[in-house]
Amino acid sequence: MMALTGARPRRFSGRLNPPAAAWVVLLLFCVFALAVPRFASAGNLENLLRVGSILGIAACGQTIVLILGGIEFSFGASAALASVVTVLALPSAGVAGGFAAGAASVLLVGLVNGTLVARFSLPPFLVTLGMLMVAGGGAAVLAGGLPIDAPPSDAFSWPARGRVAGIPVPILAAAASFALLHLLLAHTRAGRLWYLVGANGTAARLSGITVWRSVLAGYLLAGAFCALAAVILTSRVASGQPGLAPNLPFETIAACAVGGIPLAGGQGRAVQTLCGVLVIAMLNNAVVLLNLPVAYQQLMIAAVILGAVILQRAPLLLLLLPVRPARQLEEDRS
Amino acid sequence: MTRTATIRQTRGDPCKDWTLEVSGIAKNYGATCALRNASLRLRPGKVHALLGENGAGKSTLVKIVVGAIQPDRGRIALNGVPTRFAGVRQAIAAGVIPIYQHLSLFPHLSVLENLSAFAIAGAAGLRAGPSLVPRATARAWLDAVGLGCDLDLPVERLSVGERQLVEIARGLGQRCTLLVLDEPTAALTHDETDRLFGVVRRLCAEGTAVLFISHKFDEIEALADDVTVLRDGVAVIDAEPLASLSRAELVRAMLGDMVESGDRALPQPGGPVLTATGLRLGPADTAADITVRAGEIVGLAGLVGSGALELAAALAGARPVAAGTLAVRGEALPPGDRARAVAAGVGYVPADRHAEGLFGPLAALQNASSSTVALFSRGGLLRPGGEAAALMPWLRRLNLHPFQPERPAAGFSGGNQQKLLLSRNLAVPDLRVLVVLEPTRGVDIAARETIHDALVEAAGRGVSVIVASSDLDEVMALSHRILVVRHGSLDGELPRGTGRAALMDRLAGRRAA
Repeated sequence: MMALTGARPRRFSGRLNPPAAAWVVLLLFCVFALAVPRFASAGNLENLLRVGSILGIAACGQTIVLILGGIEFSFGASAALASVVTVLALPSAGVAGGFAAGAASVLLVGLVNGTLVARFSLPPFLVTLGMLMVAGGGAAVLAGGLPIDAPPSDAFSWPARGRVAGIPVPILAAAASFALLHLLLAHTRAGRLWYLVGANGTAARLSGITVWRSVLAGYLLAGAFCALAAVILTSRVASGQPGLAPNLPFETIAACAVGGIPLAGGQGRAVQTLCGVLVIAMLNNAVVLLNLPVAYQQLMIAAVILGAVILQRAPLLLLLLPVRPARQLEEDRS
Repeated sequence: MTRTATIRQTRGDPCKDWTLEVSGIAKNYGATCALRNASLRLRPGKVHALLGENGAGKSTLVKIVVGAIQPDRGRIALNGVPTRFAGVRQAIAAGVIPIYQHLSLFPHLSVLENLSAFAIAGAAGLRAGPSLVPRATARAWLDAVGLGCDLDLPVERLSVGERQLVEIARGLGQRCTLLVLDEPTAALTHDETDRLFGVVRRLCAEGTAVLFISHKFDEIEALADDVTVLRDGVAVIDAEPLASLSRAELVRAMLGDMVESGDRALPQPGGPVLTATGLRLGPADTAADITVRAGEIVGLAGLVGSGALELAAALAGARPVAAGTLAVRGEALPPGDRARAVAAGVGYVPADRHAEGLFGPLAALQNASSSTVALFSRGGLLRPGGEAAALMPWLRRLNLHPFQPERPAAGFSGGNQQKLLLSRNLAVPDLRVLVVLEPTRGVDIAARETIHDALVEAAGRGVSVIVASSDLDEVMALSHRILVVRHGSLDGELPRGTGRAALMDRLAGRRAA
């Protein structure tokens, strides 16, 4: 039991050995390709990735926070705040200035989260839940309670609908985000410190690590990823909406969990998040293609999320998956 | 082991010689062995003291006796009947009443409600209403412990000593055959302690057996009839009459008398490196001045609770102090700041390696490198191969086994986990001071030798080593000199070669005339 769950080897070295969730991605893709009409068409896959890119970028931020042993609930509300701030700033600051102002508001939320968690040792659950309400309330106050439309322009819709070299901008942004996340986690000093702090904060302090600085940096970077997601989302909906993405924090947490990242902290890789995001993006897409009622959509997504998590934790099924080090560990113990 | 066997005729059954007979108990937690072969035999109407250093397995054995955990092996008999409690509630129903160090009363509820707690816990589901004990009964229980307080008073309004008596009274209501007192006097005043002891003696006179766990020798000598001493999960003194043993014999039994080669060659110390001036752990402690020279190994020795570990941790900047200054080679070091301490070349191996040392899910190599991440990163990026180059030699030198640097630290044995923590510090560039707490607790003999060699070798490189350990053989074998710690401060110094008996006398607070 211990050998299979507690001490399951999860490397964060540069190696890209596939996580168990990769098999879920593969399985789901095959099933949907066979069972859902039009699923495997190039146009649909591009659409799937474009829609999933916002979740993916935000999930990159969530990954950092989870590795730190924290949790981030304020993503959705801060994205909503960003959309409102962006649209309000448009007339005076222009498109670029508007997006910058929106992104800055998300970073500010991240800064507050990080400061409260890192410097005052408050529980991340409560801090980010509180900031969810602050950001959501702030967005509602600024917008006067109703969505405000942005004046249509090509520049404003570029982040969501533009293309570079034929590839949609959101997909490029998501790809860049995952590449950056992988670089951060596997190859930077900051990333290494996140793992250490998340795995055992006391041991990290006694090792001479300035824990608060690492935590603050983590929440700020998480805010930066969320800011990028917010820019694309705002561009897509072309309006400032106080109730923009209420499920974003939960979907990002679900994506990380489906990818196999434990909420206990100290573990998790970019490729795991990527797999989790792909699972959820495929589900969302298939549900739309099948034209299922909204209530069924939610149930189906919930079933797959729970199923994926159980599949990864169930010791018996694990033996079928390529986790050779786990078995090796057991042999060495006996 | 000779015992004047008094075969007691208890209700005509000769098997009931012992109220509680526990033998051959073993208990493992994962790879850690808490109890190997523990036994405990309690006579009715007698107070039985259970002694042992921290980590000897005392609390594990007590938890087994009160049914909180299950042993892996061994037998338990209550009044001659083989028993195995599935839980605390079953044990209480059988008359084994635990009184904990941390009170298990409900502070906001009244005395009467607290006295009724077992009855309420035993009531099934929602069927019955709150089943309070009749007031007259409750009054009788309180009288039995000599407590005359108001039944409707909230427990939080009572003194700590009175609360403890309420707890005992609650136990008495349960047909108490065995009372387990786990460090009951820790928070009591002198008068309250006397009162408690009076109650305990009265209960004994009525035939109740009492298991008494305490670190205070004076109390044990005042109260106990028999004694069992645990060391490393084994009963080294097994239910012997207390009168037949001296205090020194008890301490020796607790700390062990495994003879070790005390002739390990130590390097010649150089100039002073670490100086602590006016160091006080708490505001009430006496200030300590400590100087450790280059290449010198200084042992900090003290009994449990003496503050030896805390003092050592303070020297490494691992805990804040009430007053005092630290300096390494004349450069001031703010106390309680490990980041600055590591930068100044002060290494630290904590006593509790799981809670304070290891990053369980992370690879061994990453555990070993946590103090030196800066060393193998440039411009914020980790240099490829830099980590392995910096740490692998140390892991090899300390003979990490199995040699799998990518394996999570949680998967290694205690000794090898300790080697990871040691490598973490030995790899610190320009290491000047190494503070090691309990370097070999729960570690096998081979790893112990390796770790001792590594410490002496570090001293040979000119590192000032401070060893704080409850393992006296270890301290005697490694140290140039031993600082005795009592009541949170220094209480004298002993040179290398001091005999075991002399050291134990000093730890217990007796000075040679």
